[in-house]
Amino acid sequence: MSATTSPARPGRRRTLESRWTPYLFLAPAALYILVFQGLPLLQEVWLSFTRTTLLNPTRSVWVGAENYLDIFTDPSFRQTLVTTLVYVVACVAGSVGLGLLVALLLNGRFPGRGVARALVTVPWAAPGIAVALIATWMFNAQYGILTKALQAVGIDPGASGVLDNPSLALIAVLATTIWQLVPFVAVVLLSALQSVPQELVEAAQVDGAGRWTVFREVTFQVLKPTIGLVAVLMTIWSLRRFELIWLMTRGGPLGTTRTLVIDLYAEAFDAKQLGVAAAIGMVGIVISLIVIVGSRFVARAAERQS
Amino acid sequence: MTRTHRLGVTARMIAVLVVLGLAVFPVYWMLVTALTSDEALFGGGLTLLPDLSRLGVFGDALQDGEVVRWLLNSLIIASGTTVLSIALGVPLAYALSRFRFAGKAALGLALLFTQMLPEALLVVPLFAIFRRVDLLNSLHGLVLANTAFVLPVVALILKGAIDGVPRELDEATRVDGGRPPTVLLRVILPLIGPSIAAAAVIAFFHAWNEYVFAVTFIFDKSLQPASVGVAGFIGEQDTSIQSIMSVAVLFTLPAVAFYLFAQKYVVGGMTAGAVKG
Repeated sequence: MSATTSPARPGRRRTLESRWTPYLFLAPAALYILVFQGLPLLQEVWLSFTRTTLLNPTRSVWVGAENYLDIFTDPSFRQTLVTTLVYVVACVAGSVGLGLLVALLLNGRFPGRGVARALVTVPWAAPGIAVALIATWMFNAQYGILTKALQAVGIDPGASGVLDNPSLALIAVLATTIWQLVPFVAVVLLSALQSVPQELVEAAQVDGAGRWTVFREVTFQVLKPTIGLVAVLMTIWSLRRFELIWLMTRGGPLGTTRTLVIDLYAEAFDAKQLGVAAAIGMVGIVISLIVIVGSRFVARAAERQS
Repeated sequence: MTRTHRLGVTARMIAVLVVLGLAVFPVYWMLVTALTSDEALFGGGLTLLPDLSRLGVFGDALQDGEVVRWLLNSLIIASGTTVLSIALGVPLAYALSRFRFAGKAALGLALLFTQMLPEALLVVPLFAIFRRVDLLNSLHGLVLANTAFVLPVVALILKGAIDGVPRELDEATRVDGGRPPTVLLRVILPLIGPSIAAAAVIAFFHAWNEYVFAVTFIFDKSLQPASVGVAGFIGEQDTSIQSIMSVAVLFTLPAVAFYLFAQKYVVGGMTAGAVKG
């Protein structure tokens, strides 16, 4: 009896399993993300086409594209876009550039390498809230050690300090952000560096290639895809970064550090215009989407070339 | 040759020391500020070394009922977020790693897409939803909100880890009659312990550091987590800077310690999960 039925049973059970099993495993998490991210996101999309205030959030008036027209005709929103662009480009260039340098520096053999590789990640491990607090203290107008350092090299941030100085605040916020991002980039690139074929490096050196040529022709070629991915990640993270900027400057002085996310938060909680805030948020999401889709195209084109 | 080589090594060591100094200095400065007297701080001079006779500030901070409550609230929120996001993330990662199914590509894209949603954007609709289901002003409400944001990262890290477990091991258990849950619990889970630890560290400190939801959803001071407490010190004039920095050190130390401890696995997980998407 068992001889005739048993060969068929596992097969049938496997087909039953293969159709529904994956969904049983993923359903809890998928539903969770749908409820806590999908639903609120849809609500934001809808809000962006309404006039809704924080004081009476359940009463929304459909206004079509009015919020979008408003923000795009508002010169201060144009400043927000420019600030966002400067902030994101500087974050990506600074963190990827310095991260690459740090990765190359830590890649060789030297005494204490393990300790160095661990300690260099401290900025990334430190909680962002604490980083905002210590940065604010270091930039304190009277007692901040960085204020004193700036004064020592002849830069006077003025009586109210660096974070209140329209020409220095963004630089200070950028320096703090990049300080925090560099270790992440360095550590990711350091692990990618392990796959650089040493035979190729040595062969190039035997052929008389200088350090720079070896880096450009061998090392950089191996790192290129990882650098691209990290750059995309840094872009997305920088577009959504909130706490650090908000706690250091609240978007000021004179809106010089007001990125899209700061703008949308201030619009929702200071101006109490939830519809306008949602529209600003959508602009940020569209920009992120363009970056992700665009980077995939670039990556594919690069793959086809090589 | 050896002379230039030795020079190169020296130059590299100097560069490494400069980089490490820059990396560690702000956190060190937090510690030094906590351990410096008013006279030394505000006297105009510059004190670069901590005054170890003042270590009592940490004791004072831990005697402060409010500070202890902040840290406890953070501990509860972060632990809850860790447990929930691992519990939801493991099966999701298993499905993504081991099965082919309709909608898989879309699900992967959705996970990537969530990485670009700012908390500051979703805080308004989540506030409205939480008010309706009575989740405002509660620690478990924050656990639910934080889990939503860290779950995709956790799932991607764990998927990378499960991808690294040879399928032959699954097959062997399947041939012996083991069903998928058995495979996951008996074969895969024991092999991806380090990645689970890494995902747990990331989930825990994501929640530990979370600010926007905490500051918006919590009204009672007794339910505030440390992130809100520490952020509240910024621009505050009434608390001494030494007390402020001693609390900041207590808030920072666990994060730095855990990341350094689990660094190898966190890095592997982050590169596999976050970067490969």
